[in-house]
Amino acid sequence: MAGPVEQQIHRDPALFYWILLPITVVMILTGILRHYLSTLLQTTPKKQTLLKMREQRHLMRARNMNINHAQVSKASFNRRKEWFADKVKEGTLLADGPEGRGKGKPNPLSDPAMMEGMMGMMKGNVAMMVPQSLIMGWINAFFSGYVIMKLPFPLTPQFKQMLQAGVGTRDLDVRWVSSLSWYFLTLFGLQPVYNFILGSNNAASQVAQQMQTQQQGNPMGGAEDMEKIFKAEVENLEVVEHWYVLDGVEDRLLAKLATGI
Amino acid sequence: MPPPYLTAPTSSDPRPALSLFAQAPSFLSSQTSSWWSSLPYPLSLFLNTESQEKWASYENLFLACLRTGDHETAYACLESLTDRFGKTNDHVLALQGLYQEATAQNTEELEEVMKAYDEVLKDDPTIFSVRKRRAALLRSVGKSAEAIADLTVLVDASPTDAEAWAELADLHLSQGNCEQAFYCLEEVLLVMPHAWNMHARLGEVVYMSAQKMDGGDQMKALAESMRRFCRSIELCDGYLRGYYGLRLTTGRLLEVLQGAKKGQLTASDSLAGDLAPPSIGTVKKLNELATSKLAEIVRRGTAGEKGWDGYSEAELKAARELIDSDTQKIQR
Repeated sequence: MAGPVEQQIHRDPALFYWILLPITVVMILTGILRHYLSTLLQTTPKKQTLLKMREQRHLMRARNMNINHAQVSKASFNRRKEWFADKVKEGTLLADGPEGRGKGKPNPLSDPAMMEGMMGMMKGNVAMMVPQSLIMGWINAFFSGYVIMKLPFPLTPQFKQMLQAGVGTRDLDVRWVSSLSWYFLTLFGLQPVYNFILGSNNAASQVAQQMQTQQQGNPMGGAEDMEKIFKAEVENLEVVEHWYVLDGVEDRLLAKLATGI
Repeated sequence: MPPPYLTAPTSSDPRPALSLFAQAPSFLSSQTSSWWSSLPYPLSLFLNTESQEKWASYENLFLACLRTGDHETAYACLESLTDRFGKTNDHVLALQGLYQEATAQNTEELEEVMKAYDEVLKDDPTIFSVRKRRAALLRSVGKSAEAIADLTVLVDASPTDAEAWAELADLHLSQGNCEQAFYCLEEVLLVMPHAWNMHARLGEVVYMSAQKMDGGDQMKALAESMRRFCRSIELCDGYLRGYYGLRLTTGRLLEVLQGAKKGQLTASDSLAGDLAPPSIGTVKKLNELATSKLAEIVRRGTAGEKGWDGYSEAELKAARELIDSDTQKIQR
């Protein structure tokens, strides 16, 4: 019995029509359903208030000034720098005004805007988790214990756990795939199919969704102390070594056009 | 080349708007005559032709129709945009205001539109598109001072908005405030450092203010203006306005430099960061360069050679006049 003998198992062709195909179709349909569900549950991001926006954009302006300082003359640059430093000292650029200084970080749990963001994420997660566990239960109840297909290529025994979940035979060749494993394979491998059906930025695959939440970072991290950021920006402007883009531009131009013609 | 209704109208030249307007009926019928657009709600979702280009075309068509006075087609475009994006969308609000402004018959109706803007802004002051429309309306009814005040508030709230800064600069210039216009244009450059048209515009403003000065100040201003034009050409070598300005400034600068005393030429204040005035030789070379380039652009632009056909006719004409006036001077 031992040896590299090709294992032969006679499978009922009905296995293909009644298990492999239904699982695949159901998985695709769940993905599509999930996509539309999360689109429905999405909350539109709340609009920033005017003052908050002003604060952000003044910060942006200071950063632009830092990067593009060469475009204006030294006198103009110094004038802008001093204006910005003055305003930061007065605190009028902060969203809460000069009185709002030194309050430190607000508690993220008491901030209603924060809570809303967390609720949105919860909804997304629920839309992911519920169908997933339901379908896994359904497959376990109806199709567990079948071997439904044979992979056309050999694999090392380490894949046994992954491909033969729910089938308790030790010396079955790794190439045989059980129904539960087929479920997992489709769960992780259908992204290209969703891309084809729903367009590239769909919300069907839970894997992509999880990556997204990781990138967003911790929602509890919350607001930073804007005053510190502004002060750091003033310092950045202080240390800028100014050069002027118009310095010697006529010679550059002449040299460029002399070689160009 | 993209279809004409995809590119936003950049110039105030009426001809593109007219040709666009002529294409409006065929475009609109191509959008609606498909059989699937009449399917019931859930099915129509699967088959709609949703794309950014579609809505950009709608908006451009809308603007062109307003300019050509075809208010019905414009209204149809506006309707589709409103259906798609909702009545409270920032952009749609501004377009609606634009439509009302265009169809207003008298000043009372314009004031109604203004009141509507105020209402919208009272509810939500962050809708910048409506704020901009408000300032534009103030300007178009001749209340420049109020428009300036409006825009000054706007750029204080949103200092990275290059469009608003440029408009404010234009307004200040129309009021003769070169200093403020200069500041505003510098802000635009801080946001968009490679905008060659803004460099040239800044050069024009400095040149204008130089007309009022005299002596060393005028020379400095002229040199600065000349360098701005140089930078503009450096960024875009084919920019007619840049060469025109370079030709003008170098011509003036040559007169001033030749008339100036020796002592003034080297008096550059390095503490204030001023650049030393350019040497006469460089200015002469630049002047020749600008003249030859202008002549080339005028020649090829009027002939409509391939690759040289994007120039506006008015600008070509002005450039030709500039060259002609010089040759006359030399002949005399």
